[in-house]
Amino acid sequence: MATFVNLLSANFRSILRDRIFLAILIVALLFFLLVPSFSLFSMRQVQELAVTLCLSTISLLLLLVSVLQGASSVWRDVEKRYTSSLLGLPVSRATFVVAKFAGIAVTLVCCTMLLGALALPAISISAAQYPSDIPIHWMNIIGAIGMDCLKYILLSAVALFLSTVSTSFFFPFFGSVAIFFAGSASQEVIEYISGDYGKSLTPAAKLVINIVYYLLPNFSAFNLKVAAIYGLPFPFKGALYTFLYFIVYTSILLCLSVWSFTRRELP
Amino acid sequence: MNALEITGLCKTYRGKRQKIVKALSSLDLTIAPGEIFGFLGPNGAGKSTTIKILMGLIQPTGGTAKIFGTPVINSASRQRLGYLPENPSFLDFMTAREYLAFVGRAFSMHKSDVKKETDRVLELLALEGAANRAIRHYSKGMIQRLGLAQVLLHDPDIYILDEPMSGLDPIGRALVKDILRDLKSRGKTVFFSTHITSDVEIICDRVGIIVNGNLMAVDHVQSILQSGIEGYVIQLVRDKMVTEEVFVEKERLKSFISDLSASDVEIERIEPKRKDIEKFFLDIVAKGEYVAVE
Repeated sequence: MATFVNLLSANFRSILRDRIFLAILIVALLFFLLVPSFSLFSMRQVQELAVTLCLSTISLLLLLVSVLQGASSVWRDVEKRYTSSLLGLPVSRATFVVAKFAGIAVTLVCCTMLLGALALPAISISAAQYPSDIPIHWMNIIGAIGMDCLKYILLSAVALFLSTVSTSFFFPFFGSVAIFFAGSASQEVIEYISGDYGKSLTPAAKLVINIVYYLLPNFSAFNLKVAAIYGLPFPFKGALYTFLYFIVYTSILLCLSVWSFTRRELP
Repeated sequence: MNALEITGLCKTYRGKRQKIVKALSSLDLTIAPGEIFGFLGPNGAGKSTTIKILMGLIQPTGGTAKIFGTPVINSASRQRLGYLPENPSFLDFMTAREYLAFVGRAFSMHKSDVKKETDRVLELLALEGAANRAIRHYSKGMIQRLGLAQVLLHDPDIYILDEPMSGLDPIGRALVKDILRDLKSRGKTVFFSTHITSDVEIICDRVGIIVNGNLMAVDHVQSILQSGIEGYVIQLVRDKMVTEEVFVEKERLKSFISDLSASDVEIERIEPKRKDIEKFFLDIVAKGEYVAVE
């Protein structure tokens, strides 16, 4: 456990000292200062726009951090030959991979907490300018931010897995971006083909679409932004199932990452 | 228990067009505790492949390797080991002090010991001045010194060093030789690969020569030097003036000395003329014969 914590801490520090990460974080922080001004662009929905802008900024930052850090994680350590010095210590490859993931996950959680803490006053200030008929549901907003964090932790697990099998940065980077977009749209596709359009498809095509749907991570399940923006009842049961889905899917990806990295020959 | 035990170690790669490349062929080697073993071989001979297998970085196609009885596939085998990779690379966002603290924690060292040992190894490797500078700003030689510092930090029982003198200036090389001599005097086991035969001659107890993945020779350095005597250069003095130097073959030494005793010529000096390790190494590589003298 001490070895795991030691590696996790090193990975976390490595991300905190990454200039690209710091630049993205500073831009996101500055954007929150502008949220009250940008919210005024909407004539009647200042509060709703402020919530949307805050949640979208958090999403964008977490997307960039999860893809960039996940995709470059194992690949960069192999490329820079850090692995030969790190695995020369009494560290198993499984510990190495899981600590790598944990370092990214901790970073995503910290970013979420920091940006979430800034989003709440930004929304309050914006909403105070032109009070809306819809009361602000703070728990919905916090719930939506939390589910977003889980979504991007899952995406970082996808990127990390691709990084363990790749010898270049491009495959895990573009692969995880492609999986993110496909996984965000898969729910809509499956609902679309369950309607009238699906009747025109061959059974084989439907089967392929269904297989892809179940293989891809379903990122849309984590999207609770609408409930947060319009103060709709928070789907607790759905959120619980999504959380369980997150645990199972991430665990499977980590097992695959460890298996793949254990078989890899290192320079 | 042997410090290092390698049995039938093989490694094959699939090269271009699925051609099978044999990097290691049935390597058998044991190294006793307290021994300094030099692993010599030309480029591409299989030295680094052997070391990478020992460190679990690549998997052997066949055979086993154990460090103090623990198979190398188990990360616990590295608990009593210090490893210096060839052209090492460390987490370069850290400073040397931070990296050494990280290594100390990886070996479960006590916090106060980590601090004390960090100061000691930084001073030993002349890195105190750069201890709080990020590793990414280090020169190649400084990184090599840091590599040695992290190896020495937890005072392991066995050291596996891949080209430890690489990238060092003459002062650094002399320092490494001193460190290796010190490890030898403290009964530590050292297994190091090198191209430099003179280093082996000065430091090692035994040497192994690997060529094309085959271990061609394993012998004690002293016995190589002893058996390599080809003859003697004898300096003769007549009337207290140096007169001449003659070369006498090994077999003729006794008779030559007895012949001289009858004359008025005195012997000033007798120097053995021997093959050095380099000559031995070059002969082995050229002949391609296996010699095993344990």
